Amino acid sequence: MRILIVDDSRSMRMILKRMLADMGHTDVVEAEHGADALDRMLESTPELALVDWNMPVMNGLEFVTELRTKREYDKVKVMMVTSESSPRLVYEALKAGADEYAMKPVTREVIEDKLQLLGLG
Amino acid sequence: MDEVVNEFITESHENLDQLDQELVALEQNPDKNVLARVFRTIHTIKGTSGFLGFGTLESVTHVGENLLSKLRDGDLQVTSEITSGLLAMLDAVRVILDSVVATGGEGGLSFPDLVDRLSRLNNGEHVGTVATHNAIEAKVAIEANNVEKEAIAEPAAATVELEEEPAMSEPPTPLRAVRGGKAKTTTGISAAAVKKPRKSAGRTISVVTVTSEKSFDGVLVETESIEDHAVDVDGMFGVQLLESGKITEAQLADALQQQDQGDTRRVGEILVEQSAISSKEVTQTLKAQSEDRTAVTESIRVDVGLLDDLMNLVGELVLARNQILQFTQDQSDPSFNATSQRLNLITTELQAGVMKTRMQPIENVWNKFPRVVRDLTIGCGKQARLEMEGKHTELDKTLLEAIKDPLTHLVRNSVDHGLESPADRLAAGKPAEGVVRLAAYHEGGQVIIEISDDGAGIDAAKVRRKAVQKGMLTADEAAGRTDREILNVIFLPGFSTAESVSNISGRGVGMDVVKTNIEGIGGSVDVQTVLGKGTTFKVKIPLTLAIIPALVVTVGDGRYAIPQVSLLELVRLDGHHGENGIEWIQGVPVHRLRGRLLPLVFLNAVFDAGSSTDDREAFNIVVVQADDHQFGLVVDEISDTAEIVVKPLGRLLKHVEAFAGATIMGDGRVALILDVMGIANHVGITAGQRSTSRSNASAEELSEAMADRRRLLLFSLGERRLGLPLEAVARLEEFRPEDVEISSHRPVVQYRGEIMPLVHLSDELNIPVKRTADQPMQVVVYNENNVSVGLVVDEIFDIVEEAFQITDRTSARGIQGTAVIQGLVTDVIDVREVLNGALPGLLTRAVGAAA
Repeated sequence: MRILIVDDSRSMRMILKRMLADMGHTDVVEAEHGADALDRMLESTPELALVDWNMPVMNGLEFVTELRTKREYDKVKVMMVTSESSPRLVYEALKAGADEYAMKPVTREVIEDKLQLLGLG
Repeated sequence: MDEVVNEFITESHENLDQLDQELVALEQNPDKNVLARVFRTIHTIKGTSGFLGFGTLESVTHVGENLLSKLRDGDLQVTSEITSGLLAMLDAVRVILDSVVATGGEGGLSFPDLVDRLSRLNNGEHVGTVATHNAIEAKVAIEANNVEKEAIAEPAAATVELEEEPAMSEPPTPLRAVRGGKAKTTTGISAAAVKKPRKSAGRTISVVTVTSEKSFDGVLVETESIEDHAVDVDGMFGVQLLESGKITEAQLADALQQQDQGDTRRVGEILVEQSAISSKEVTQTLKAQSEDRTAVTESIRVDVGLLDDLMNLVGELVLARNQILQFTQDQSDPSFNATSQRLNLITTELQAGVMKTRMQPIENVWNKFPRVVRDLTIGCGKQARLEMEGKHTELDKTLLEAIKDPLTHLVRNSVDHGLESPADRLAAGKPAEGVVRLAAYHEGGQVIIEISDDGAGIDAAKVRRKAVQKGMLTADEAAGRTDREILNVIFLPGFSTAESVSNISGRGVGMDVVKTNIEGIGGSVDVQTVLGKGTTFKVKIPLTLAIIPALVVTVGDGRYAIPQVSLLELVRLDGHHGENGIEWIQGVPVHRLRGRLLPLVFLNAVFDAGSSTDDREAFNIVVVQADDHQFGLVVDEISDTAEIVVKPLGRLLKHVEAFAGATIMGDGRVALILDVMGIANHVGITAGQRSTSRSNASAEELSEAMADRRRLLLFSLGERRLGLPLEAVARLEEFRPEDVEISSHRPVVQYRGEIMPLVHLSDELNIPVKRTADQPMQVVVYNENNVSVGLVVDEIFDIVEEAFQITDRTSARGIQGTAVIQGLVTDVIDVREVLNGALPGLLTRAVGAAA
């Protein structure tokens, strides 16, 4: 399964990438922000995107919003992975088209659970 | 250390450097975009430290993040106490990161005071600008040198008056008014239209989040707020056009208004229809945006070690290329020649390319200066604005590292010593706020960095006084130097003109270290000042260290390269000049270059190169500069200038101070690179200065010494030992008795096409001497207003520069007094008095003739 990690922090991407590798997911694409992610998706469509909220250029919410306007990406599951934790923001993200929402610091177990919920586990 | 932790540290440091600058910028101009960026960085650090289990880091950044989010939401305004608090938080973050680097963990650090202070700020309380001390106190446990440097900051007593906070919200603009309204789903502009927001575009972009969050109540959300965003993506494109000056604000407002009234088209389309712009311009702008963005993502990170290796290999390639080119000269095969020409071109391009990979913008160093200046101004009660020009100027990474500290010192110096207090500035008719300006640009294969201030300037008279007071120069030397030369004294060790020792610039490196460091990388630093107007330090550094331009010279069988940075000029003496151009003063060869004595160093003698200069008709002199000393290197032949690749010398030769390295020439032979400074030390040219600039003597000793520190020529007359002030000596000559003729009852010699009277000092001073008729005469030539007189003495010993006191003032004619020099009693002669007695009227005639 191809997974796209969208996060502006190199170290955070590295952490998530390792976590995924531990779970056996090695087909990982990285993007620095929403707009970068959209570019990457032109090259290869992932099944899942792990998306941070606070990013330069195009933040996570903007990314999901933009993504959901494109029919060809209907099948892409989006999981917000962020430390933004207010219920309002969770709601906003889900409303915009995110499929799941995980709070940082996220553990491997949480990600596994969420993948199950998304039918990707 | 764990790879992830490593990455986290690197990343955090990159971000922190930027943050310092941004926080200071925020204080002056609260910009929502900058605020959002600062928030994001702290947020990221907090988030990641949670993953990595750095609890303290998480707690510190957590309170900081809360505070920032209140600022972002407009619940609090940016004030100087909040800025100080946030800067203190950054310091604490650095301390923790350093501890992680040093020990692998947080090392039990905690910052209760800082957390408390930030929380209180968060609650809207006043805490004063107690500065970064709290963060620093916690640091003592670990080694964190670089943090200490950052932490100068404000005085402990927080007496700084707090200003009324500037209003955070921006004035309403037509744009904002429009955006507040109902929005459309205009997502037509693709992601390519999204660009990193710029400052001035701030009001359009981040408003969405802020307004939606502010107006938000509970879990309910207005769907418009998300659609709002779409408008903003589009609206931002409009702002792009606005910024580039293609449309006016009114036109954009119109277009947005139209969208608001139900027009579902994109801003660009509406504008084209209104004929505000052409569709070509729209495409151009879109293209520019997407290019701008890809430029950010299409870079990779490369190990510096790898770049160093590449640079070395390219160096080798350059050498091989030079050798091949040498071969082509004896080759007639056209295809071989063509191929080597191509090799030549490709090598040159490759060299330029690899050098480019090592280039970094000077911005990377300058970034921390706004914080430095801010902290300093608060610390010393001044007002200063930092201006930067040419911050994208690039130079080699190694060099950048090397100039970091010297530049920081110069900037501090400008604020601390350069700028006057606001009161003094106002009194001088200047604005209270001083300006420190940094400028960087390329000039003639070098990078020039200027650090200037519009302060009081440096008073040359004061420097002169101080230099004499401190025993760095004798009164005569000080008086003999021009103002420009005198200014260079500030680069000598132990010099400071600051009236009071300030705890800011007075510590750590001094100007001498600045100079040493910059010269260590083949650069130079120069100071220019206009009293009352300001001071400029001009730092010149080479683009790279590995490949340098040099002058190739031949001495004996060997070839040597002299780095171009130390070259001043080339002088060739031939024919008449060849014989007369070189004089000997007390065993030291000198050449008179435009009225100044230039000490010469015969390289063939220094290197024992086997060639002889005895019967030479022409001399090639390479005039070089080492420190403050100019001197001439006499070489056999001057060949050419060349780009040489610097190779370090082997272990066995490392200690030879005359050489800086070696290089391989086009013909495959090795040439040694001369270290001009090392040669100067070797032959003792700098020795005089060393002893005079020595500053470890006590103040009393020095002032006593200064009283009569003079240079004397020592000689003998019979049994007596005498001294003659050196300034009275024009030349030392030797004449044979048969050279002496008699004119008007006086002994004279023909000297330089003129008739020079001789004065036997022994006769004038009534000192008995044994004179033998066949011995050559030692003559000291005295010159006043173009009239020369030869003073005949017995034997010339030495030239000394010594502190002595004339203890016994005799009444004997022609003797100034007696002093103890080198442990021996010495009479010091008053030349004018002697001459007035011996040749009455000659000196006055001379004045008349000169006039």
